[in-house]
Amino acid sequence: MEQSSKKKAGKFTIMRNKVATYLSKPYNVILLLMGIVLSFTTIAPIIAIVEDTFKIHPGTIDAHLTGQSSGYSVVNYVDLFTSRMAKSNLWTPLLNTVYLAVGTCIVSILFGGIVAFLITRTDLAWKKYISSIFIFPYIMPQWTLAVVWQHLFNSNKITGTSNGLLASLFGINMPIWWCKGLFPSLVVLGLHYAPFAYILIGGIFRNMDANLEEAATILDTPKWRIMARITLPMVKPAILSTILLVFGSAMGSYPVPHYLGLTTLSTKYVSMNSKYTGEASILAIIMMIFGVAIMLLNQLSLTSRKSYTTVTGKSGQISKIRLGRAGRCIIALVLVFLTFFTSIFPIVSFGFETFLPNPGDYSFLYTGDFSNLTTKWWVTAENITENGMYGQMGILYNKTIWNAFKGTLLVSIACSLLAGTIGTLVGYAVSKNRRDKWTNYVNSVAFLPYLMPSIAVGVAYFILFSNKYVNLFNTYTLLIIVGTVKYIPFASRSSLNSMLQLSNEIEESAIILNVPWIKRMTRIIIPIQKSSIISGYLLPFMTCLRELSLFMLLCVQGFILSTTLDYFDEMGLYAFSSGINLILIVTILIFNAIVNKVTGASLDKGIGG
Amino acid sequence: MKKLLALLLTSSMLVSLAACGGGGAAQGGSTAQPAGSTAQTAETTEPAGTDTKVDEANLTATQKIIQEAQGMSLEELAAKAIEESNGKMFYGVGNSSRGKSALPLFISYLQTIDPSYTMEFEWQQPKNNKIFDQLTADSLKDTGTFAMTLIQDGNQIQSKMVQPGILDTFIPKDWAEANGTTPDAYKGYLPLQTLNKVFEYNNTGSKTYDNVWDFVAEGEHGLFMDIDSEIVGKNFLYMLTRDDYAAWMKEAFEALSDDEKAYFQPVITEMETDAADLMLGPDAAYSLAWIKLWVESYNAQTDDGPICSTLVDASATDQFGLLVYSKLRSVEESATVSVNNINVAAYDDGYEGIGGYGYCHYLFVTDNSPLPWTACAFIAYMTCTADGFSAWGKDMGGYSSNPKVLAENEEIYHHMTGGMAEDGTTVQFAAKNDRGYEWWTTDGKLVLEDPEYCASVAFTVGSWIEMLTKYSAE
Repeated sequence: MEQSSKKKAGKFTIMRNKVATYLSKPYNVILLLMGIVLSFTTIAPIIAIVEDTFKIHPGTIDAHLTGQSSGYSVVNYVDLFTSRMAKSNLWTPLLNTVYLAVGTCIVSILFGGIVAFLITRTDLAWKKYISSIFIFPYIMPQWTLAVVWQHLFNSNKITGTSNGLLASLFGINMPIWWCKGLFPSLVVLGLHYAPFAYILIGGIFRNMDANLEEAATILDTPKWRIMARITLPMVKPAILSTILLVFGSAMGSYPVPHYLGLTTLSTKYVSMNSKYTGEASILAIIMMIFGVAIMLLNQLSLTSRKSYTTVTGKSGQISKIRLGRAGRCIIALVLVFLTFFTSIFPIVSFGFETFLPNPGDYSFLYTGDFSNLTTKWWVTAENITENGMYGQMGILYNKTIWNAFKGTLLVSIACSLLAGTIGTLVGYAVSKNRRDKWTNYVNSVAFLPYLMPSIAVGVAYFILFSNKYVNLFNTYTLLIIVGTVKYIPFASRSSLNSMLQLSNEIEESAIILNVPWIKRMTRIIIPIQKSSIISGYLLPFMTCLRELSLFMLLCVQGFILSTTLDYFDEMGLYAFSSGINLILIVTILIFNAIVNKVTGASLDKGIGG
Repeated sequence: MKKLLALLLTSSMLVSLAACGGGGAAQGGSTAQPAGSTAQTAETTEPAGTDTKVDEANLTATQKIIQEAQGMSLEELAAKAIEESNGKMFYGVGNSSRGKSALPLFISYLQTIDPSYTMEFEWQQPKNNKIFDQLTADSLKDTGTFAMTLIQDGNQIQSKMVQPGILDTFIPKDWAEANGTTPDAYKGYLPLQTLNKVFEYNNTGSKTYDNVWDFVAEGEHGLFMDIDSEIVGKNFLYMLTRDDYAAWMKEAFEALSDDEKAYFQPVITEMETDAADLMLGPDAAYSLAWIKLWVESYNAQTDDGPICSTLVDASATDQFGLLVYSKLRSVEESATVSVNNINVAAYDDGYEGIGGYGYCHYLFVTDNSPLPWTACAFIAYMTCTADGFSAWGKDMGGYSSNPKVLAENEEIYHHMTGGMAEDGTTVQFAAKNDRGYEWWTTDGKLVLEDPEYCASVAFTVGSWIEMLTKYSAE
């Protein structure tokens, strides 16, 4: 009896000691806490949305088919997969979504990768300018490029609207596949996400060991073979990372396909939501399943990356390919020309739009008469409906816009601080204990929300937090929670990559000297990797500032700037939306400049530093 | 995690399998609808959702206030509103952005009674049918954010808002009297106004549209808000299948030339079986044919604003659209943009067929309204005074449901001569001479939304429409 109680006490002591030992390591405490919190924030919304697919919604198809106004049923699944409308409601949008996501990946990798190669591995002219201007499409809300696309290429003859700039000025009518549907959608999204590829692939090009290529050159290997067998395999992990980031984002994009007339799962979700609420939730689940599949692919690619450990960053010798005196300038000119249309022209166009008398009315260009311009969109100080103001005050006096701006700043700063801090801690903790199953779980669960399409995440949180116990609809709290969860991966990836570059010896020596954990972090680890860590704060901030798909179902118009901007764009009040775009761009540039000045980090240094 | 995911995937697959043996369609949805949609003649028929008399003991707090408020004049309501909301914040949500213009006028009105009165306000106008999600989400709070709403689409209002008890109807005493009834006798929703969407075409070319069938002729692609994003557009299509409107479609068809008839006839013949299957009236094949051709040809746009901006541009030669008439008011004349670049089809001599469609903006108090008295007073102010209605009354194409306000509004704004030059005799902008509600609902052949009919065909004609392949310019 005594022995067995001693035995029990012994087991208890051992267990207690094990727990104490486990918890004595700060990274274990972080992993434990984050694992619990992130499990809830990731899995609970998924459960909520799954429940919604079985729920009967009054006034919708499930209520009609079941003859009930409440309760649960599988009728939504039955109807979505087997009804005569399965093709138009499910399969066609699904196929379009996959095409869009794949096409966007290709465009962004090709465009971003080539520019990254030219910037980092060649003696291209005007690198600094091109590098800075290249990230502009990512700064701007993605659909603004779609609107610019319409203003440029629409024509009476082809799209059945008024003429865009190209048709008006030069009489050029672009074909319909160029103006609407899949092609413009994937180009616009590809341009928007090309900076991802640029940052990721450029990071590897910048740090890669040139000795391998040089050895191949010495062995007289043809250039194409060096590219195919050495250079490309080296950047393969970066390409995979870009696919990871871009595929899910493109898949969940609502505004671009919406404006350019492509039916995807996201646009279908919105159009079905009124009458087919439960079935729309199934579409969101399908998008989520893609997110999970991408995560599993990522796990596989992580395993295969073991064979690419040549990317060490140890070589200081990077051989630059000479493009020739003329070549370096011609290629640079081509890039300057291209980036003019992706980065400068939209901003100029936004600027002009705020002075046009009617949306898209470029009379002053055709007539040369500058009296066809107006300042009414900026300076109207009274609430009128005449002259196209639709009861809105000018931008300078428009309370809706400035309140939304304040709201956006609040959400962006809060998300940036929370996601940045949590992500940095997760990255640090994961780097310390990579082989542990729990660690891998925390790492995956922190990354999963990013891989899930934004609109699906928004839907899930809308359902989770719109109930009689917790109702956070249209509150900043909800937006901050969702934004934080969604953007933790920016910081966790950035932090993990940089922490892995740090030798454990540095922290171990501090431990030997009994330096407390907080001090080790703030005095040693963070300062060494500050550039990457700051980008982990900066990216959530910037992304939050112009995020729409994630937030559009969680708040009303006027709550934040992106929903306000979308509202004005949909209403055709492009002067207001353009003005908001300018406000957003200037804000991001100011913040980027401040951070760059204070810390040396900047956006184009990006993920993983 | 993996297990959970596996479980989710498995259950999805099981459900798909279950689909093979599932799903007998049952009747459901709403069966009856309110009468308020035909606002100009206040009906007293029993509306859906009120066919069982509400037990007074079961009234919610807001419903009790409404009951009391329905016996009060505007002045009495104003006093209650001042008491309730002085210094507070008022949130409203609506399908019309003009609520934002009406609220300051309402505050000014209250300040004429109590100069110290102040109220902050915010007015939201959601897009993409989100208003129903917003109100549903807000209804789950004990005390909601929104005090009231101005909402369209009687079909969804009935099934998603009124039946679940999210919105309550308040009938102002003065409004009821103006319509020759009483709040108790009137059983419909309270319409603020009827709006019209009309066919307009760019006239800078030589093309004319003198028959509603011209809009669905070969190669035509009218600009129209997508029916999935603005459901009243879908309601318009439902309404076309009602016997009286189907007869109009047939009448217009018969006015076509033989060549034109020969083009449309095969589609009409093809639709006869569908019309029978959908248990529609004898002329419904004409409507179904027009709907089919329309859905398969219209060029979907995000809003009426961009449609208007497009059509008034000189470069939009021969394009046409079906859009809110009042948008014309916001056009600023410039070198290439002019209201004179468009014609309102129904105003053309010899035009045959429907001129467009009309739908209502209804007013409701939210059942968890944080400021129910103020909401009632605001609703009474908008429906019973020309000042209150002026946010909408300034524009052509919006007709007050209160006959007194409608007449007073015309006295003030002269919409019927809104396109005349300052001399009062020269026609400056013909399209802006609004011929008024009376004309539109008779000679103009406006198709008026009837929520009851829409609800009755939402899952028959509605599903049939959804099966059609929408036009895509891709």
